[in-house]
Amino acid sequence: MLLNSEKMGKNFFTTTFLLAILWSFLPAQDLDELLGGIDKDNTPNYAYGTFKGTTIINGQSVEVPGNKDLHFLISHRFGAVNSGIYNFFGLDQATTRLGLEYGIKDILSVSVGRSTYEKTYDAGIKLKVLRQQTGIRNIPLTMSVYCAGFAESTKWEDPERDNLFSSRLSFSTQLLIARKFNKHLSLQISPSYIHINLVPTAADQNNIYSVGFGGRYKLTPKFSINSEYYYLLPGETANDYANSLSFGVDIETGGHVFQLHFTNSQLMYTPGFIARTEGKWEEGDIFIGFNIFRVFSLSRKDKSKH
Amino acid sequence: MVSVNAFPQNMDKIYVCRNGSISFISDAPLELIKASNDKLTGVLNVNDRSFSFKVSVKDFEGFNSSLQRVHFNEDYMETELFPNSTFKGKIIEEIDLRVPGEYKVRAKGKLSIHGVEIDRIVKCDLIVNNKQINVNANFTVFIADHNISIPSILNQKIAKEINVDVKFTLIPSEQ
Repeated sequence: MLLNSEKMGKNFFTTTFLLAILWSFLPAQDLDELLGGIDKDNTPNYAYGTFKGTTIINGQSVEVPGNKDLHFLISHRFGAVNSGIYNFFGLDQATTRLGLEYGIKDILSVSVGRSTYEKTYDAGIKLKVLRQQTGIRNIPLTMSVYCAGFAESTKWEDPERDNLFSSRLSFSTQLLIARKFNKHLSLQISPSYIHINLVPTAADQNNIYSVGFGGRYKLTPKFSINSEYYYLLPGETANDYANSLSFGVDIETGGHVFQLHFTNSQLMYTPGFIARTEGKWEEGDIFIGFNIFRVFSLSRKDKSKH
Repeated sequence: MVSVNAFPQNMDKIYVCRNGSISFISDAPLELIKASNDKLTGVLNVNDRSFSFKVSVKDFEGFNSSLQRVHFNEDYMETELFPNSTFKGKIIEEIDLRVPGEYKVRAKGKLSIHGVEIDRIVKCDLIVNNKQINVNANFTVFIADHNISIPSILNQKIAKEINVDVKFTLIPSEQ
C-alpha cells in the first residue's frame, strides 16, 4: 500500500510537472490556431463580377447593377461592314438604344430603354435567384431570370384600320445560368422564350425558342474578350433568320464599362437579336457596335470631394 | 508546487477580440473612398505579449458604389486568392497587461495584405481596465508595398497611401 501510493504520488507529480512545462512552451505558435477557433466566418464568399456588364454582348448576363447603382447605357450598332466605302463600311448609318438600369439589394434590377429601330420601347426586370458562393453554403452557379416587354411605336401604316396596341407588343423571358470558373473564365447558358404578338403571316411563329451561349475570358483585370451565340430552335423563324453570333471585348475604367464588338445582329433588344437577326457572317453582314455603361451610385452623397 | 502556480496564471493569459472594427480611407485628389469592417478578430497572449490579428477582406463595406466594392475585391485585393489580411507579432514594451492603466505601446510584427508580408511597427493606445483591454491604432499602408497595382487612369482617384483606423476590445477567453 505504502509503496503503491508513493509510486502514484510520484507519477502524479511527474505528469503535472511535465504538463506545466508543456503549457509554458505552448504560447506563440498556438495563437493562430486559437484565432482560427474564434473566427467564425459566417458570411458567404460570393463570386463577384462573373461578367463586367449586365450584357455579355447583345444578350443579358446574369449580372444586375449593384445595390442603388444606376447604369446609363448607350448602345450603338453601325451599318453592315460589307456596305463598302460608299457607306464608310457601315459607319454612316447607326441604330441606337438608350437605357437605364437600377439595382435593388444586389439581386434585383429594373430597366427601361428605347431603340431607334421601329422606335421600340422596352421595360424589364431581372432577378438573381441563385448566387454562386462558397462558405456556409456551396452554390456552384449564378442564376437570374430576365423578363421584359417591348412595344414598337411607329405610326400605323393604315390609320383607318382598327389598330390594336397589343399588336405592337412582344415579350421575352430568359433563364440565365452562369458559372465563374476562375477569375478569368465565366460561361453562361441562356434558355430563352420570345413571344411576338403580331407576325406578318400565319406561317410565322408567335412563340420562338432559343438557347444562348456566352462567355468571357479576362486577360487583365480591366480587359476581357467576350463571345455570344444564340441558337434558334428549328422552326419557321430559324428558316427565315440567322442565329446571332458576336465577338467583342470589355474595357473597364473606374465608373465605365466599354464593350466593343462585331456582331451579325443590328438590333439590341431581346426579341430583335434573337428572332430577327438578318446578317450572315459568311456574307460579311457584320455590324460594328459598342455598349457604354456609365455607373452612377445613388447611395452616397460624399463621393466627390467637390 | 509548480502546477498550482502555473494554472491560474494561464487561465486568463489569452485575450480575444471577436468583433473589432477596422476602417480605411483613400484620400485621392479626385475621390474620397471609405470602407469599414466590423469582423476583425484577434488573440493576444498577455504573458509574452504576442498577438495575431486577422480581417476578412470580403467583409469591407462602404465604398462609393457597389461596383467599386467589386473592383476592390476583384482587381486590387484579389480576395479570392488572398482572403485575409493579418498582423502577427509582439508588443515591444515589457509591460504587464493585467495592470489597469493607459499605455502607449509599439506592436511589432508582420503585416500581410494582398499576400505580401511586410515588417511593421504600429503605435497603439491601450486602456486596460476591469479585465478588458481597449485598443486604438491608426497607421498608413502604402499600396505599392503590398504589390497592389492601380491602373494609371485611376491615379487621381485612388490614393497611394491608405489610412487605416483600428479599434477593438480584448477580453479574457473563457477556455
